[in-house]
Amino acid sequence: MSRVNRIVWGVFLLFGGFVIYESLQLSYYGTDFGPGPGFFSFWLGVLVIVLSVVEIGRTLRVSDPVPEGFIPTRQGVKRILSLLGALAACIFLMNPLGYALTTLAFCIFLLRTLAGQSWWLTLLISLGSSFGLLHVFRTLQVFLPTGWFGI
Amino acid sequence: METFQHLANGFVVALSLKNLLFATIGCILGTLIGVLPGLGPAAGTALLIPITFKLEPTSAIIMLAAIYYGAMYGGTITSVLINVPGEAASVVTCLDGYEMAKQGRAGPALGIAAIGSFVGGSVATLGLVLMALPLARFALKFGPTEYFSLLLVGLSLVMALAGKSLPKALMMGVIGLVFSLVGVDPVEGAPRFTFGITPLLDGIRFVPVVMGFFGIGEILLNAEKSLAGVMAGEGKVTSFLPKREEWPICVSSILRGTGLGFFLGLIPGTNSAVASFMSYAIEKKVSRHPEKFGTGLIEGVAAPETANNAYANAALIPLFTLGLPGSPTIAILMGALIMNGLTPGPLLFQQHATFVWAVIASLYIGNVILLILNLPLVGWWAKLLKIPYQTLVVIILVFCIIGAYSLNNSVFDIGVMVLCGILGYVFKKLDFPLAPAILTLILGPLMERSLRESLSLSQGDFSIFVTRPISLGLLVITAIIFATSAWQALPSAVREESKEAQV
Repeated sequence: MSRVNRIVWGVFLLFGGFVIYESLQLSYYGTDFGPGPGFFSFWLGVLVIVLSVVEIGRTLRVSDPVPEGFIPTRQGVKRILSLLGALAACIFLMNPLGYALTTLAFCIFLLRTLAGQSWWLTLLISLGSSFGLLHVFRTLQVFLPTGWFGI
Repeated sequence: METFQHLANGFVVALSLKNLLFATIGCILGTLIGVLPGLGPAAGTALLIPITFKLEPTSAIIMLAAIYYGAMYGGTITSVLINVPGEAASVVTCLDGYEMAKQGRAGPALGIAAIGSFVGGSVATLGLVLMALPLARFALKFGPTEYFSLLLVGLSLVMALAGKSLPKALMMGVIGLVFSLVGVDPVEGAPRFTFGITPLLDGIRFVPVVMGFFGIGEILLNAEKSLAGVMAGEGKVTSFLPKREEWPICVSSILRGTGLGFFLGLIPGTNSAVASFMSYAIEKKVSRHPEKFGTGLIEGVAAPETANNAYANAALIPLFTLGLPGSPTIAILMGALIMNGLTPGPLLFQQHATFVWAVIASLYIGNVILLILNLPLVGWWAKLLKIPYQTLVVIILVFCIIGAYSLNNSVFDIGVMVLCGILGYVFKKLDFPLAPAILTLILGPLMERSLRESLSLSQGDFSIFVTRPISLGLLVITAIIFATSAWQALPSAVREESKEAQV
């Protein structure tokens, strides 16, 4: 686990450097004797670097094995990727297709692949979550995207 | 007397048919969220913010507060019936609650949890009534300097109590602060960390981050393994009351749980899980038969559930009086207040007295509604648990998408939510506490503004923080908290060496 932690704190070290770099593009002092927009972020970047260096040093002194179950199984990875893939597709299709059609496809895909539901139940839940919720939220005056087809 | 006059006015507003209806809907939705595994009160409350958009501020906050304490009770139902806690505070309820359910006593377990939650919640609300005005008046002495130091106390407590590792908690706090800096600088209008991406000019909103961290992150974590719970006793719930000989034990457990939960609710940085775990530990300590805990003892359910709800109501005291949220869920309520044009803090009692007292009165009413609703509806909630988790996940994801989008009618926010979901998943796997990041994301702008205002007042002189007595006192408290947690974080061998060197 100490190796994993070292990598994680290494990423944070780079993140801290990036925050400092970005802060230096902004003014450190403000116009009214107070700090400017880059002041707070600069010191936060410094704090990130200090913490990362201390923790990397600590992980070099100890060696913990990776705990059991830390690395997901192949099935687990497949489920996670299905979820993330469906969410990514949802983001890209939401504006062109609208809420109802995108969510309909999203639900059908996940209910069939992840939940293994029957077609009848899949259609029932998908229609309820897409067109049903669209109607409910329209009633509540919360407007969801309609897309090219106007639905 | 003045307080009770205000409270009476609050009751008039809270008891209007419209607000009663919103409180009832909030309790039902909150319990539903609490019942669903993998969706705690923080993500649930954030998820339901959009449905309050079109409500007037008082009704919106009454409903969100009802969702909040409804969710706290909902978590108990899954803990008792299927040994799956809906949220962290209910973990300890599984120990004796599930054992009681296996013995066919799910009813009394859920019944005493509802009664304890009612007593704890009501007493804490009474405390809120009595303490609110004096505390708010004291807080009026606070300028930006004192406020910055107070925020430091709150944040240091959050970090000290958030997890096993202080550096990890600190790092999460800093990440939340960096997220809060994204957007246009509030003083000079300069864009920061926007990388030319137009939607980032509005900053990173807390709702998609909370839903990502707590909702999507939890779902991804659960997706790794199959989550199939076995319902104890097939969800049959008959009698709700404990046996006659159990009542004296229950009464003293409920009283202890109320006191502890209320006290912890006043301290920013604690959370309801701390309240329920400490309460369980105290019960075990005072019990004549501690070895029987975990085998289905009713006090093992009564005390933590009472403490949990007393905490939930008491935690509103620092929010309303000081503008200081003590936990992620309270921070979400604070965000909802700000979205409705209300700034939590001492001035809230002066500028929006009707609102704040109506919300306080609604807490009493909400506790009664929760008690009336939950006892007869337990059987129904149990039936809901028969829906396979994988199916529930899809429905939860749809609500997350709607919640993130409707905040600003922006698909970009759904992207932020998904990215934060991946981050939340990774952080949880690596044991990084998420609460500090949420709190600093919300408090970041307030913190930066009070720091910059203080330094403008002193013309850039940092000694302003130590020359003002209240600020100095608060900074000393912060230093003590950090020193204590840093000392505790040291390996025991190093501490022993240090003690020997001193001798």
